[in-house]
Amino acid sequence: MTVEFVNATFPIITISIIIPLLAAGLLFFLPERHAKPVSIITSIIVFVLSTYMLFAYDYSTYSIQFYEKYSWIPFLGVSYEVGVDALSLTMVWLTAVSFVAAFVWSTNIQKRIKEYFIAFLVLEAACIGVFVSWDLVWFYIFWEAMLIPMFLIIGVWGYAERIYAATKFFIYTFFGSLFLLIGVIGMYIYQYYEKGILSTSYFDLVNLGLPFKLEIIFFLLLALGFAIKVPMWPFHTWLPAAHVQAPTAGSVILAAVLLKMGTYGFVRFSLPWFPEASKYFVPVMFALGVIAIIYTAMMAIAQTHIKRLIAYSSVSHMGFVTIGTFALNMEGMNGAIITMISHGFTSAALFLAAGFIYERVHSYEIKDLGGLARFMPVFATLFMISAMASAGLPGLSGFVGEFLALLGTFKASVITAVLAGLSLIVGAGYTLWLYHKAMFKESELSAEKIEKWEKLKDMNAAEFLSFLPLVIMMFVIGIYPTWWIQLIEKTSAAILSKFIGG
Amino acid sequence: MSVLQEIVAGLGVPNFGVLIPEIIILLTAFTVFAIELFSKARFLITVVTVVGLFLSAVSTQLISQGDLTFYGLYLVDTFSLTFKFFLILTAFFVVIVLRPYLESKDTYYGEYYYLMLFSLLGMMMMVSAPNLITFYMGIELASISIYILAGMFRKDYLSKEGAFKYLILGGTGTAVISYGIALLYGRTGSFDFATIADTITSDNLDVGAVAGIVILLIGLALKASSVPFHFWTPDAYQGAATPITAFMAVAAKIATFAVILRIMVEAFPFAYEVWNLGWALLAAASMIFGNFVALRQDNVKRMLAYSSIAHSGYILAALAAPTDAAFTALIFYSLVYIFMGLGGFIFLSAMERQYDWNNHINDFRGLAKRSPMMALFMLIFMFSMLGIPPTVGFFGKLGVFVALIGSDIWWLAVVLVVMSIVSAGYYLRVVIYMYMHEPVSKARFNFSMGEAFTLAFMATFILILGIYPTIFWDLSSLLSAVLMQGVGR
Repeated sequence: MTVEFVNATFPIITISIIIPLLAAGLLFFLPERHAKPVSIITSIIVFVLSTYMLFAYDYSTYSIQFYEKYSWIPFLGVSYEVGVDALSLTMVWLTAVSFVAAFVWSTNIQKRIKEYFIAFLVLEAACIGVFVSWDLVWFYIFWEAMLIPMFLIIGVWGYAERIYAATKFFIYTFFGSLFLLIGVIGMYIYQYYEKGILSTSYFDLVNLGLPFKLEIIFFLLLALGFAIKVPMWPFHTWLPAAHVQAPTAGSVILAAVLLKMGTYGFVRFSLPWFPEASKYFVPVMFALGVIAIIYTAMMAIAQTHIKRLIAYSSVSHMGFVTIGTFALNMEGMNGAIITMISHGFTSAALFLAAGFIYERVHSYEIKDLGGLARFMPVFATLFMISAMASAGLPGLSGFVGEFLALLGTFKASVITAVLAGLSLIVGAGYTLWLYHKAMFKESELSAEKIEKWEKLKDMNAAEFLSFLPLVIMMFVIGIYPTWWIQLIEKTSAAILSKFIGG
Repeated sequence: MSVLQEIVAGLGVPNFGVLIPEIIILLTAFTVFAIELFSKARFLITVVTVVGLFLSAVSTQLISQGDLTFYGLYLVDTFSLTFKFFLILTAFFVVIVLRPYLESKDTYYGEYYYLMLFSLLGMMMMVSAPNLITFYMGIELASISIYILAGMFRKDYLSKEGAFKYLILGGTGTAVISYGIALLYGRTGSFDFATIADTITSDNLDVGAVAGIVILLIGLALKASSVPFHFWTPDAYQGAATPITAFMAVAAKIATFAVILRIMVEAFPFAYEVWNLGWALLAAASMIFGNFVALRQDNVKRMLAYSSIAHSGYILAALAAPTDAAFTALIFYSLVYIFMGLGGFIFLSAMERQYDWNNHINDFRGLAKRSPMMALFMLIFMFSMLGIPPTVGFFGKLGVFVALIGSDIWWLAVVLVVMSIVSAGYYLRVVIYMYMHEPVSKARFNFSMGEAFTLAFMATFILILGIYPTIFWDLSSLLSAVLMQGVGR
């Protein structure tokens, strides 16, 4: 795989990593009242930068654009190397949008405001860093650095069982990423002995030509790290706990950005680095993907807690990404990437909706709700659109990605596609039930409830503004997916170049 | 002609120019002793000590030409000078936080200062030793001063217990070391590292040589508080005055690691199979034991003592591989451990002066609300010890890790990884108590300038090195090259 680089004339990526960090450092010394405006402005700047990149990106060929490289630790052959291809760019943009939504939403936060925003700003820098790093040491630094703020966000601003959930999240992901580290270092050493190059750059490691046996070993080591992050069944147990306990904005980032890191890892590293092992493990990944899709969809039906339900549905959707990725054809890959971005928007919106309901009703239990639509029509509409997009209604974003992923899978394995396709029905089932029980079902309404809920206010400006971009994007991708598919087409082809030739 | 003139005529004058750092430390120690004896001016003692350390640190940087002096008994090279500089730096940070601590505990003695200086002198001799005798003198001077320092906290029963344990076990350690030295002398007929290296080669490893190496190694392991020779560590660390604990846990350890590395590389370069395996086993035991026991501690000082045993394990693990990468990793980790170790213990020393603080984990409740800055510092220290980027602890472990995998020692690499995960249990616990629990007391904190400066310096440095470790890597790699050059000198 030879790659072309387009050097950045202006270090735009580095700036989008540094700005949130600077803002975080600044906030530490500013009084509390500045926390919200500074954070929102920062996230908007990052959003503007990433949008600029999205439009300035030349997607007629595959190349790494806005590329910067500086030598960093020559002794270990490590350099600072950042750049974007369409996949990275998609993820960076998703990150930027999610953080704008999270920050705007967080204007409602009351407790320990300053630390809250500092943690989120650091998290934003780390998340962007993960998606743009092409040097494995930097990738790992960002990948791990993200744990610290997320651990604090869940643990400090979460609900009753927050400490348990935060610790579980931390130890689970730390465990996985250390195996990822072993794998990468193993490859690095192998490269040194076989080729005499001391380098941690992605572009050196990708052309390693490992023997089959080693490919298998390294694939498994890396896959463990990624699978925990995705999370794939059976490593998903940290996710419901973390989601249920995390504050709303934390859940949003967790679902929209952090889960994508795992699938991003599979797409970015596992496939191009270990083509033979990837082919070898296709049945395993299909099996795990299908189990994730069906099992967690079933689990979602049984949930009575809104956030837990959405968390399980996330695992289920990530199953589609897994099978789409390992279908190893263009449709599957495009579908996986589109599902990643679409799930970013829908799950973020659903978690915002859950948070919204909790702010009003002070309960996440579905049985405490019912008939809410009557009292807050604007919210009901937006929630409806998000739920439909998540369930995969044609015309909204969820459908495009899952359809393409299934199409790709169908070419690779009919039985997998059929099983995964059947679960779409279950998926539609739990989403609609959730919506029905929470928003309609007026039989649940008692006189007492009506009296209490009449006073509830519909969305305020902050809530509306954080919802809006997500909902718009669901329509954009749903109605005109071609644009985004064109954007990622060349990148998908490059990632799959070792499988389909060209 | 006097006797002295005869000696000079016969052997030449030793090069005292390269000994200036040691001479300054020695003179400072005597000056402090005199001041303590006659005036008891506490401020003056601190100032004199700090000035002495400063001059000595500067002089280590001014020596441009190393030398093997004192008739082959004292070696001044980049390796020893660098370690001397960092040892002096450690002592400096301990000295500036020592007085407020002792005064708050009402156990101020001027002896603390000159004993620390003597101990520092011993450590400087250790890292400069080209010869088992110099090494032995250095380690004895350093240890005996520390036995007293550990027991100086006279009002506390734990201090006496810890110091006594340390004395007994440390004494055993030196006895074992001297036995090892005797065996090696019997086998090779020399104390000199270079001669020993020439005599003991991989094809003539007989009982005498192996026994000598192994016994010396056991003695050294005891000084480095490696499992199963660690029993003195938790008690001595917990009992001593906390700044002294910092001195023991950082300076004494760093000097020991440096001297271990020098002895292994320069004296036994061709017998590496023996010490590779030995250190690998000791390191694995230290990591496993230190981390699991630390999980059960409620006293944070004791927890950090066990964690320092675990860190000995991580550092010594590098000795399982006889490669340049491994030696570099060991030096790098030792140097950066200074910042983490000092940070952790000096944090406790600063907190212990506060009202109602017993180092119990419950005292950490809600610290982030009571003092956001201090909580942030401790967070950085804890994550650095855990090895999470962007702190420098990550690069320490990364170096060892790369060295181990590079030499195909997968089992130890896996132990290191698994034990890092276990260690998350207790490091995170401190963070959880600081950030996720409500404070029990609202009492205000006050910190001295020295404490605030030290902690801020350590935390900043950990982060800077975590982003840009290049300078330290280059330095470590240079030192490793210096050591390897010395082989068979």
